[in-house]
Amino acid sequence: MVSLKLLKFLSVVLPIFLLVFACKEKPEKSSLPKLGTAAIDFNCQDLKGQIWSLDKVRGKVVLLRFWADWCPYCRYEMPVIDKYYRKLNKEGFLVLAVNVKQSPEVALAFTAQLDITFPIPLDPDGEMAKRYGVYAIPTNFLIDRQGVIREILIGEVFKEEKFLENLLKDYFKM
Amino acid sequence: MFFPRALNLLVPRISQRAKFISSILSALLTTLILLSIPESGGQGRLDDETIRYKGQQLSIKWDPLTRAPLIIRGIESNLLEIKNFSKLSRKEITHTGPLLVSKYQPLLQIGPNQLKLKGAEKISDTWYVSYWQTFQGVILYESSLGFSIDSHGRIKSLGAILYPNVQAPVTSKISHEKALKIGQGQIKDFKKLKCRLVAESVLVYPVKKTNSIDYYRVYAFNFFPEEALHPATTEGGWAVFVDSQNGKVVLFEILMKPLGCCVPEDWVPPKPEEMKPKW
Repeated sequence: MVSLKLLKFLSVVLPIFLLVFACKEKPEKSSLPKLGTAAIDFNCQDLKGQIWSLDKVRGKVVLLRFWADWCPYCRYEMPVIDKYYRKLNKEGFLVLAVNVKQSPEVALAFTAQLDITFPIPLDPDGEMAKRYGVYAIPTNFLIDRQGVIREILIGEVFKEEKFLENLLKDYFKM
Repeated sequence: MFFPRALNLLVPRISQRAKFISSILSALLTTLILLSIPESGGQGRLDDETIRYKGQQLSIKWDPLTRAPLIIRGIESNLLEIKNFSKLSRKEITHTGPLLVSKYQPLLQIGPNQLKLKGAEKISDTWYVSYWQTFQGVILYESSLGFSIDSHGRIKSLGAILYPNVQAPVTSKISHEKALKIGQGQIKDFKKLKCRLVAESVLVYPVKKTNSIDYYRVYAFNFFPEEALHPATTEGGWAVFVDSQNGKVVLFEILMKPLGCCVPEDWVPPKPEEMKPKW
């Protein structure tokens, strides 16, 4: 009887337990990412409720960006990045601008202020940023079509349009 | 646990095996129900509404707790059109926010005199302007109202984090010195780490609860260890908010560094006044 009760209990609790963990970040496997290594995968929900993972976007060139609205350097790069996202999205350029440790309302208002169109995944507890070794923002990872990190850019670097354009020239006809 | 027990009551005579199967089914049902609930904080709970305001059709996304707009967009019309925009100075452009708030004040539920300029910058041909909301002259933490103005002077939408009906103390009961000591006391090895106060301010700190918002008037401090001030180090700092009424710490948070570009070889730590604050 006891084992049956235990089984019943587990049959209820286990799926919930597994579900909760499936929705969160995958467990930490390695230390900080390095250039030329495979980018760490993640599962992250964006402002529209869509779940993003690198597995799902393999074949695209991904600019994975970590930001927060209080960071003055994060703000004015966004329109520049969005310009190239709109231009190259159909050719396989994806921007995932991960908001770190802020509410969806704050992130949403920010995107509306800057008229941003790319997805904004949310990292409410900063776990994803931690796994990517992000210690300052903005931090950007350029990930190639095979899921390999090709650039790590820390600080404000895209305010000058040409910088991003030169970076993307290696992947797209500009 | 809830579903199996309920099922037990409904079908008391079924076999143990059937009960077990029913438990599994109920667990799956629970799982499905959980899956169908939008994650707390997801955009699924933020509803869009189309309204007519002074003859203009607008799409509004409301904050479910504050009931203030998060986004207002004009439908087939602009929120505001500024004449002779190309001739305006930067200073004149920063006056656009109060104009916009005046026009949509019943919706925004704050007054134009409650705005404080956060930033205004021109990227390509577009101006990006943003403000904080203030209460009795004090900035509300993480509040904002911002928009872009295209080269023709058109504002098509705005984004905002606003708090109507703020109820916060207007004076501090404890001194700045006392609050600073409390703040410093939160950091272990403050002296050993050679921590520096790089930004400080008095803020109104809204804390959202399930159905209400608590407003604290706080002394807000940002501390960084000296080592962390070098842009290339991975050291972080701390934000400490001390309640100005009773000295309680209402926020203690590890900070990431906001970084501008490039680390010169001859880099030296900036003076406190050169550091950009968190707010």
